[in-house]
Amino acid sequence: MSKPKVAFFDFACCEGCQLQVYNLEEDILNLLELVEPVEWREAMSDKAEKYDIAFIEGSITRPGDEESLKDIRERSTMLIALGACATIGGVNKLKNNFDLAEVKQCVYSESAGMGHLETSATKSVGEVVKVDYHIHGCPIDKQEFAYIVRCLALGKTPVIPNHPVCVECKMKENICRFEYGEICLGPVTRAGCGAKCPSNGMWCFGCRGYVDNPNVNAAREVMDQYGKTIADLQGKLKLFGSKQEATDEMA
Amino acid sequence: MKEPHVCESKSDIYLPEPATVLQVKPMTRLETYFKFKLNSGKPLGHRPGQFVQVSLPGIGEAPISISSSPTRGASFDMVVRNVGNVSGAMHKLRSVDRVGIRGPFGTEFPVDEMKGKDVLLICGGIGLVPVRSVIQYILDNREDYGRIMILIGTKTSADRLFIEEIKEWRRVKNITLLETVDHRDENWSGIEGVITMLLPLVKVNPSETVAVVCGPPIMYKFVIVQLQKMKVPDAEIYVSLERHMKCGVGKCGHCQINQFYVCQEGPVFKFSDISDIEEAIE
Amino acid sequence: MSVKKLSAKAFNKWVDVCVQEHCVYGVQAKNDRFAFGPLARGVDLRLDYDVTILPPKKYLQPPSEALLKFNKEAEYESITEVEPFVIFGIHPYDIVAISQMDKVFSADNGDIHYMKRREQATLVAVDVQNASDNVFAGSMGTAVVDEGFDILLTRLKDSYLIDIRTEKGEALMKHTKKAEDATEADLKLRQQVQEDNKALLNKHELLTAPQELPALLNQSLDHPVWKEKAELCYSCGSCNLVCPTCYCFDVEDDVDWSLDEGVRRRKWDGCMLAEFAAVAGGHNFRRHREDRYRHRYYRKGRYIHERYGDIACVGCGRCITACTANIANPVEIYNRLREDH
Repeated sequence: MSKPKVAFFDFACCEGCQLQVYNLEEDILNLLELVEPVEWREAMSDKAEKYDIAFIEGSITRPGDEESLKDIRERSTMLIALGACATIGGVNKLKNNFDLAEVKQCVYSESAGMGHLETSATKSVGEVVKVDYHIHGCPIDKQEFAYIVRCLALGKTPVIPNHPVCVECKMKENICRFEYGEICLGPVTRAGCGAKCPSNGMWCFGCRGYVDNPNVNAAREVMDQYGKTIADLQGKLKLFGSKQEATDEMA
Repeated sequence: MKEPHVCESKSDIYLPEPATVLQVKPMTRLETYFKFKLNSGKPLGHRPGQFVQVSLPGIGEAPISISSSPTRGASFDMVVRNVGNVSGAMHKLRSVDRVGIRGPFGTEFPVDEMKGKDVLLICGGIGLVPVRSVIQYILDNREDYGRIMILIGTKTSADRLFIEEIKEWRRVKNITLLETVDHRDENWSGIEGVITMLLPLVKVNPSETVAVVCGPPIMYKFVIVQLQKMKVPDAEIYVSLERHMKCGVGKCGHCQINQFYVCQEGPVFKFSDISDIEEAIE
Repeated sequence: MSVKKLSAKAFNKWVDVCVQEHCVYGVQAKNDRFAFGPLARGVDLRLDYDVTILPPKKYLQPPSEALLKFNKEAEYESITEVEPFVIFGIHPYDIVAISQMDKVFSADNGDIHYMKRREQATLVAVDVQNASDNVFAGSMGTAVVDEGFDILLTRLKDSYLIDIRTEKGEALMKHTKKAEDATEADLKLRQQVQEDNKALLNKHELLTAPQELPALLNQSLDHPVWKEKAELCYSCGSCNLVCPTCYCFDVEDDVDWSLDEGVRRRKWDGCMLAEFAAVAGGHNFRRHREDRYRHRYYRKGRYIHERYGDIACVGCGRCITACTANIANPVEIYNRLREDH
């Protein structure tokens, strides 16, 4: 069997998730035993017509990007959203909390009217095209990326957790951030990161998006219990959770 | 004083033994038939209604019903619906491929208690898969049993399983076999409707009948209510229940229904044992 | 076998030798909490702890544990090598929990992965010196223990009593020559400590005898408390994961980069997690939070009792502390059921 042809594409993002792939270091050679990159702007100059797997990094923030993405989708057998910008819109979705013209004005001031700065409301990849798998996180976890690639090479559906970060946090024997008077998004955020932030003294920022069925109704009473308000919680949710759509389709 | 429990067993309850695929045959769009044999050459040693854990290296392990009777030699059959990782990967198996097998596990259909009685088998969808092991067992010991009534329901005619065998079963003396599909199409001229519609069509002598029910979760309560109306005692109704399972040996906790583990006290339960158990029948 | 006594100074020396001679896990400070961890020096051992974040089950059933290795020819091989180790400072309620785990994993054919670890473990229990905020072991009859350990330590004023019950315990005691026999007076003092602990380790008081829980639950299936509490449940499984009697697990295969070889592991799972009872194909037998929430209390208070004869709650109170939404207090739930009956 020939190796699957893979391509990496980036839209609005910091390209840090692709960087995580290069960070596999010597395992990159193992990765290349399993797949054949045919298009990867950051790593090579070749281009191809068809892809077995297209990895899409970044969110969709310009009308033209939607067309490019649809074109990639048509030429790909499998399409995978890579990292928070692609899976849930990521930090870029902060923009959607404001009026678009105001955003442009604020960022580009007098240049805001220039044609190449055309922008639209941020969308996750899944809001534009069908996504086969989501590799979550900001940035992605390189071990999870490696696991998912191995699963796909084996023809197996990777197990991507649908339980909250608390599971991994408890396994790490961390003290709950709420006990330090912080709001932590762990209880509604999809696990799989190994509770990296809480294990290193920070609350969970929610970069992997919500679990399929987050208990949003519990928020008011739980915030009350900790002397916090819904506004405090919303402030925390904004970074990754602005206008976030459920990611049910991958369940 | 009590010493800590000592592990008397030397063998690993999680360790599969190698088996080989002898035959693969597609049955429907989603279901495929497999025949296996243990590499040791020994028979599996199962009873009708039991299941095994099938392992595919790297893919994982899943509980699968055994679909053949132990009276049919050392090989054993499964029919698998392509719904998960293991069942999906099984659909890529070819004969001579190797898998891991643990088991047989669980309880059996009451083929001994049924002796001398009429047997009513009610199968919805892939519920026919484990029940086929009882049917074969009864056919191989035909004189031990009374009348056999087999009721089979599927969603559409394309979902029918064991079509050739059903034809053979119909030809056996003293077997009533009725089939229905939920939705009729151009390939089906028989009965249309849910499986409960078939029950009034068979003459059941409630004091002389053992009933077996196996199908999707939603089916049980409707069929059981109707069996009760027909005066079949709860102690003569057997159900085979499905639950999420990981270990098959009563440890992992997934298949629990109250104090029962479906992998240990099930999958076949006497209905009177579970009729007042809140989570058993949905 | 015998009860010995060591002065505080000799005790510390003894622990130091144990640490040098064996693989020892002991209770240590973790920020302002406590946790079992590899013990490097006797001085780090904190036998005055109130409760550890995770129970010592993590050494008997690790959060992630390799069960088998395999190759693509479907040849499987058990992984069971475990070196001997000592767990220092287990509270009585956790000893009771381990005895329950022993029952579960040795039942039927026995789970050699758990049992090998268990056989290699020397359990050094200690009577509680400081009660945690949420402990209710007094209500569950687990504030003190008389079996299930190799050694039981009890802190007296400036000494430790060392109750040695097994050969494994004797082996540890070979690392000191300072041990004296405990006197009648010492044993009386110990009895007082233990009597006091039954009262002190009861920050939440269960108003029913533990043995009556199965019958109480039997009548409480439709009680409104299940829905009411479950509305705040995040289904995060924290209560499961920190529980010393929760042992449910998931099993997963992973392969190396060659795809030819791999390892089958089991990982802690929890019945509160959304997909715990979901079968391939999607049907979920406990699809509502309420179903899962109720199941956990029934399992602790009734199902395990029916199966193994134990109430599967030892009153450590970890679930109460771990629950972000503050809905996991078993005493509150069981008392509420009792009030309404």
